[in-house]
Amino acid sequence: MTATVRLQQEDFSPDAEIAALKRISPRIGGVVTFVGCARDFSEGREISRLDFDAYDAMALAEMQKLHAEAMARFGLIGARIVHRVATVVPGDNIVLIAVAAEHRAEAFDACRWLIDELKLRVPIWKKEVTPQGDAWVTTHP
Amino acid sequence: MIRVLFFGPIAERVNARELQFDYTPGMTLHDITSRVGMQYPGALSIVSFIALNQVQIGDRQQALQDGDEIAFMAKFSGG
Repeated sequence: MTATVRLQQEDFSPDAEIAALKRISPRIGGVVTFVGCARDFSEGREISRLDFDAYDAMALAEMQKLHAEAMARFGLIGARIVHRVATVVPGDNIVLIAVAAEHRAEAFDACRWLIDELKLRVPIWKKEVTPQGDAWVTTHP
Repeated sequence: MIRVLFFGPIAERVNARELQFDYTPGMTLHDITSRVGMQYPGALSIVSFIALNQVQIGDRQQALQDGDEIAFMAKFSGG
C-alpha cells in the first residue's frame, strides 16, 4: 500500500488513490479530488514541457503537515497528497489531492484549501520550457 | 561544516545544488548569506525563503551550529 503523502517521479492513478481512501471507512459519504496537469499554453507561450525541482525532505515534511492540518481542520476521514517531481509534457499529471469526508461540504473545502496551501508552502519549483526559451515560474495562478 | 542547498532557479544561477563552508564558532546565517552573495553576485536576489534544517527562518542573525543545513529558496511554484 502506498503512503498517503508522497513525492514521486512516476505518474499516479487517481482511481487507485480514491480506492485507497474508500477502503478507510464505510462512513465516507464523499470523495473530492483535484488533479493538476500540465497545460500546453501559459501566459501567451506554447509550453513544450515542465521541469520540476523540489527540496525533497522539506517538501515532504510540509506536505505531511498540510495533511495533518487538513484532517483536523475539516474533520476528514482521509486525505492523500501526491506530487510528481519529474519532467512532464502537456496532458501529464502533476499533483493529486484527494479527500474523503462524511459530507461534501467539508470535502470540497478541504480539497481547495490543500491545493492552495500546497502552492504557498511546499518547496517545489517548476520551469516552463518553450520554443522561445526556458523560464522558472514565480507566480501562483 | 555548514551545508548550503540551492534548488530550481537559484541552483541554476549558482550552477550548483550544494556548497559547503567550514564552521566557525559564532557564525550566523548572515555570514553565510554574505559569503554566498559575494561568491555569486545577484544569485540570491530572488530568494523569498530561507530554511535552517528544513524549517523556514526569518532571523538573519540566527546563530549556526556545526552540521547545520541551510537552503536559499525562490518563491515556490509547485502544483
